[in-house]
Amino acid sequence: MKQQFTTWWAWLLRKEVISISRELHSVELPDGEVVRVTHTVDCMDTSCPRPQMAAMNMLETMKKGNVLELITDNPTAIETVPALVMTLYCQHLATIHTDDGWCIYIRKDD
Amino acid sequence: MKNQEATTATSLDLDTGNKFIDWFSQKQNRHAATIMGLVAICSAWALSNDMRWLYLLVYVWFGLIYGMFLQYGRFCMASAVRDLFAVGVSRMAVGVMIALCLYSMVAAVVNISGFGTFHPHPLGWHIIIGGLIFGFGIIFTGGCASGSLYKTGEGNMASALVLLSISFSQAFFVNLGDWSDKLAPASWTASALDKGMPEELSVEHGWFDQFTAGYIWDLEAATLADMMNVTQPIAKYFLTDSLLVTILPASIILVVLYKAYYCKGYLRRQKIEKQGMTCHLGGVWSMITSSKNTAIAGIGLGIFSGLHVWATGALRESYGIFNFGELLEDMGHTAGLSIQGTVFDPGYWYITTQEAQWGAWVMENVGMDMRSNIFFGMDNGIPNPLINAPGFMSIGIILGAATLALLRREFKWKIPNMETAFFALAGGLLMGIGARIAMGCNIGAFFATVANGDISGWMFLLGMVAGGYLGVQAFNFWMNWRTSQIDDCPL
Repeated sequence: MKQQFTTWWAWLLRKEVISISRELHSVELPDGEVVRVTHTVDCMDTSCPRPQMAAMNMLETMKKGNVLELITDNPTAIETVPALVMTLYCQHLATIHTDDGWCIYIRKDD
Repeated sequence: MKNQEATTATSLDLDTGNKFIDWFSQKQNRHAATIMGLVAICSAWALSNDMRWLYLLVYVWFGLIYGMFLQYGRFCMASAVRDLFAVGVSRMAVGVMIALCLYSMVAAVVNISGFGTFHPHPLGWHIIIGGLIFGFGIIFTGGCASGSLYKTGEGNMASALVLLSISFSQAFFVNLGDWSDKLAPASWTASALDKGMPEELSVEHGWFDQFTAGYIWDLEAATLADMMNVTQPIAKYFLTDSLLVTILPASIILVVLYKAYYCKGYLRRQKIEKQGMTCHLGGVWSMITSSKNTAIAGIGLGIFSGLHVWATGALRESYGIFNFGELLEDMGHTAGLSIQGTVFDPGYWYITTQEAQWGAWVMENVGMDMRSNIFFGMDNGIPNPLINAPGFMSIGIILGAATLALLRREFKWKIPNMETAFFALAGGLLMGIGARIAMGCNIGAFFATVANGDISGWMFLLGMVAGGYLGVQAFNFWMNWRTSQIDDCPL
């Protein structure tokens, strides 16, 4: 993360950027199921409540059967984002702990 | 045969040994073990100096337990309010209600056994106003007072800035200079002077002194049971303080949360057409159990908060003291005591006042006069952080959270950018001011207060929720404005 910036001052002034990609890719979940991710939201290095709001806004625009991959290192979001599924008619597929954060997979049901 | 058994035993031993070496060879596990080891060694050293440090160590170890549960459940009370308004998720609000009900039940048992340490808060408008300012602040810092402590333990340096800001803003606020006298109504000044306080406190100078002596002290402070003159212990502590003040309102809040945030999605998901009482009860249960970590943390925090009161109460009885200041005096540490010979020693989970003492201690040591006010000079004292018992509870929360975060591989150093750092400092400033006006944070003024049968805690929650709502609106406004400045942000 830090290496992208030339000076420490530029690094402190960095903006919390959330990047979106719609590149299709397949992921194998811990239960062996292979899902095709349609939307990826990368919220690495962003603080509350940005990951939660990004997930909510993205899920609201998605269609039935689409799968969201949310990449974040915010521990509070790990609990909150799966809890979003009840209001947004989605299914929480899995949360995978990686070396520097988590990937949460959610499928839109309706 | 015997040989064979011996071989199996040795290979088992070897196996456990290998597992241990394997566990220990991982850096995070080693760091976690080091933290706990150091706390244990320091505790033993303190006890070997004087057994009476046990009183301080109770705070340390309960702090560690709180920190672990907070980290385990990502028990963030700021998100209890924020997530409701920002994303419509009730998980944390539900967790808080569970913790509250359990705490109140354990507190009832502790109070019946005569070890209660709780003092009710004066009831007045200041609680709602303070809660409002506090609630507005926590949206911007991304964590309440105890949330900031456990997040600091997870390596989040923005939360450490929040702590810094809360500490100094409180110390500064209770010690406002003469310029703030104009802000206090004349009736407060007159009433404060009437109290005949020692001259060195100069109660007629400084807004906070006049607020305390001229306004707060004129208010009634009582638990509901005391107001209703209930004296029979079971009726007083269980039926009134626990059931009527805590469990009943908490249950109503749970039903409201279910109706507002959970019911529609639950019925649709379960494909329930015909709605009946049983299906709604199932829905409420599903809401409570939907986030297991949060529920487990709620149960643990509720029970241990109650046990903490009991442990401190029992120690006070065995030492024959009312306040830790008496013990400190016996041990020869008189420098930090107030003029009454007391220090801040709530005897239960509390966050903000000890942080104000840290700030005041630093400010005093750079030469500022911090004792000519009631808050430090008469009530809480400014002990050295090394002998500040509740202060060690806060440090315990940080260390407990750090230990568990390391073991769960969730520890990560995070350096905030300027925007987050600014929000942390500004939000922390508001939290500090709000906490002092309301006489506590969401733990001291809400959680511990309600659980002990004092309805002023619900007033704090009311203010905090209103402040949280306004905070979310302001935060959304800011985010929208920011989005219009950059293109690649979806928010």
